[in-house]
Amino acid sequence: MKRKVIKKSKIPVLIKDLTMEYEVFAPVKQRGFVSFERVSSGNEACLEFQNTKKPPKEIFLPQTEILFSYKVSKNGVETTESPAVERKMVLLGVRPCDARSFVMVDKFFSSEETRDKYYSQKKENATIVGLACNHPLSTCFCTSVGGSPFGKDGMDLLLSDLGDKYLIEALTEKGENLIEKLPLFEDAQTEDNDKATELSKNAQKAVRSRVSVEGLSKKLDMMFEDPVWDQIRKKCVNCGVCTYLCPTCCCFDILDEVTDDGKRVRIWDSCQFPLFTAQGSGHNPRPSGREMMRQRIMHKFNYYVDNFGENFCVGCGRCVRECPVSLDIREIIEEICSAETK
Amino acid sequence: MNSVENSIRDVARKLLSEKKVDLIIGYEQGKVPLRTTPCFVNKIEDVEKLVWNACCDANLAKYSVGRKEKVGVVAKGCDARSITVCIIEKQIAKEKVFIIGVPCSGIIDRKKIDMKLEGREILEATVDDEKITLRGEDFKSVLPKKDFICDSCSTCQHRNPPIYDVLLGEKAPESTGVYEFSQVSGLEEKSTKERWEHFSEELGKCIRCYACRNVCPLCYCKVCFVDQTLPAWFGKTNDLSDTMIYHLVRAYHLAGRCVDCGACSRACPMGIDLRELLKKIEKTMKERFNYEAGVSLEKNPPLGEFKMEDSQEFIK
Amino acid sequence: MSDSYIPSLAIIRKITIENEAKDIKTFDMVFRHTEAMKDFKYTCGQFAQISAFGAGECPIGIASSPMNEDCIQFTVKKVGVVTAALHNLEEGTTVGIRGPFGNGFPLERMEGHNIVIVGGGFAFTTLRSLIKFILHKANRDRYRDLTVIYGARDPGELIYKHDLEVWGKRDDVNLNVTIDKAVSGWTGLVGFVPSVVKEVGPSSQNAVALVCGPPVMIKFTMPVIEGLGFSPENVLLSLEMRMKCGIGKCGRCNIGNKFVCKDGPIFTYKELQTMPKEY
Repeated sequence: MKRKVIKKSKIPVLIKDLTMEYEVFAPVKQRGFVSFERVSSGNEACLEFQNTKKPPKEIFLPQTEILFSYKVSKNGVETTESPAVERKMVLLGVRPCDARSFVMVDKFFSSEETRDKYYSQKKENATIVGLACNHPLSTCFCTSVGGSPFGKDGMDLLLSDLGDKYLIEALTEKGENLIEKLPLFEDAQTEDNDKATELSKNAQKAVRSRVSVEGLSKKLDMMFEDPVWDQIRKKCVNCGVCTYLCPTCCCFDILDEVTDDGKRVRIWDSCQFPLFTAQGSGHNPRPSGREMMRQRIMHKFNYYVDNFGENFCVGCGRCVRECPVSLDIREIIEEICSAETK
Repeated sequence: MNSVENSIRDVARKLLSEKKVDLIIGYEQGKVPLRTTPCFVNKIEDVEKLVWNACCDANLAKYSVGRKEKVGVVAKGCDARSITVCIIEKQIAKEKVFIIGVPCSGIIDRKKIDMKLEGREILEATVDDEKITLRGEDFKSVLPKKDFICDSCSTCQHRNPPIYDVLLGEKAPESTGVYEFSQVSGLEEKSTKERWEHFSEELGKCIRCYACRNVCPLCYCKVCFVDQTLPAWFGKTNDLSDTMIYHLVRAYHLAGRCVDCGACSRACPMGIDLRELLKKIEKTMKERFNYEAGVSLEKNPPLGEFKMEDSQEFIK
Repeated sequence: MSDSYIPSLAIIRKITIENEAKDIKTFDMVFRHTEAMKDFKYTCGQFAQISAFGAGECPIGIASSPMNEDCIQFTVKKVGVVTAALHNLEEGTTVGIRGPFGNGFPLERMEGHNIVIVGGGFAFTTLRSLIKFILHKANRDRYRDLTVIYGARDPGELIYKHDLEVWGKRDDVNLNVTIDKAVSGWTGLVGFVPSVVKEVGPSSQNAVALVCGPPVMIKFTMPVIEGLGFSPENVLLSLEMRMKCGIGKCGRCNIGNKFVCKDGPIFTYKELQTMPKEY
């Protein structure tokens, strides 16, 4: 597919043009961090960033989402479906790890068997513009779990930062359609392509953090009752930071909110919260942090592998950076791999 | 030469070998620069893992609650005060905890450093008494430590644990000439409307991860009010009014109990300043009840008892 | 089967209090719209998410037999927010039904076999659906001997008393009803379900056993069942889990690489032996 370049100075104009037809989400500087927000002008976005605090999953799977609303009256109940999502979106500046997470969550939410229309509608209407990582963080380990700082999975276009301009490569028809419409691009020259190739090679090497997940899933098959979980869970305080900031975690709760009328809402939930598996009878199959920590690791590195053939982790490192007690999932994986099993 | 660190290891070795405790809870160095992580030592050979530095930010009292075994806990002033509150509230038995008191001149605030470096990644960090030296891929930065410690530390009145079983090292100089509640006046000067707008903006960032609650040693309820369903006090969505209730009620639940260790603010991934309201409540408790949490094993928390001389002007 | 989150509306036509403690009620529900009734094709052992509008949704096993075209029955025990809200509703109120969900009992596979049904306490609801299905004249001759062992704490806690009476009079079902401890006035069997299973000693020859009950009952009944010679692939159990979406998306009923709402709730004992013990 075609490769073009765009000068960095033209990016604000690009964003402004895109907002004419699309809702544009781009990284925006907040106080102390960067997050994906809807932008209406080119100057709000900031593409010089490491990675966003919250992953872009919240655009397709909002933390709170109304499934439908209803009115209860003497005559019965009337339900009103939430309006279909028709608006088109562009997500600009999605890192390859986060784009790859979309592919994983899609397998789960947009499978042929049961398509979650709330997620799928938004996802299908979105064009994902990825931004390759020239400078992976020391906490990034995407290459250990099948990703890459210049990876192309899950995106329609890939931007590579060449210094004063971006190389833009269309990866899908949707991506091609986007850049065809806009006159801001020039054809990429050989030196542009060469530079991008060099940056990609360097970025791969720059991902210094290596975690061996070879044989991890098979090993975990035998470790459900292993005492290693008692060690691993000691520091964990079972908050929701790792799950909420994880691009692939997508468990949710469904509940009713009633004001004047009623709403059935879906909200983020976490396997680390005490009520997650608590049954009405009072029985809870995961009564303590030990079981909850085990569930998180098994789900990511064993159960999802059984069902979909790959680890449910993109190596973005958010859980490593943000854990309040500095629990490191890379250390946990190492501890499991080196544990002796009977 | 970090003499407090060596003393911690010595004490830990002694306590374990004499079987005075079953477990030592301290800090070990984290994998990421400027981070330590809680460390659980029950074998003498693991004592070498224990460290002490200005990055020892976790409040280890959290891990002392509800234990059957006897534990030795490395405690800064604020941590020791938290343990004291837990003892008074019968969550820790006094004879089951051995407080290894350490002097503390302040914990580094990583969020302040991130803001200063504008998000550039730190690859190496060293901290001494005066300065923080940071190295990244293409920069080196030396920062004065006193400007980058946590807000809770800059107004701290208990740099040395008031209650302890052993106190290591030389006492840290207590802060002088710093008004303990200087950070509250900004809030007090705001009008009601301004305060509402301010909290709406701050708490609007909350993602209800409950990191603040889960790192707090005093949030030890088996079923938190957040998780009660019959009745459900408020909603679990990140709707602003529900989020506000969560934070306001949690702050009130901590009245007369919070020691301002700052762990909640440090834990918050969204950078919300959770201490504002807590500090104001702390000030009120001091002014109205002449009470400071965790400095004495004899005094009960004011909201846990009633005295005849308590102010009653609110009863009309 | 609906895969959306929007329930079909149904009206509570009749409420029957099942036990003396009055915390178990059976609701007869009728869909408001006939297409919804046609779409709701269910089999024994499946469940649905019942909406008490304003309180929320909860998963309830379907207690009526699919042969019943008149209404759908759900037996609900009052344990939490939504079940309490359901218990406060009157006949004529509109509720929501979403489903049917789950894999249900493998009825075809069970044909031509002797069926041994073991139920304890409140878990008897979907088994009742199965028993009524098997005993229906259109189905009865496809199954061989039917043995039912059902126990509750005391006579007041026995549910479906009317059905038990009717079944007791039939000669094509061997019904054994037991209570935990002897009570004056009770002339039936006395003893915990596992010991009654041992006493009744149903043959495992060409037989399929279905066991549903609280975890403690399952724990003590399974050795008896195995002792009678039932092989693990011929013993079926129904797992209870907290469930919300019913379609394997919300994550909370995940055990191993399975979702109880989608791959279950009916599992053979052989399957359970390969799954992590997290239920």
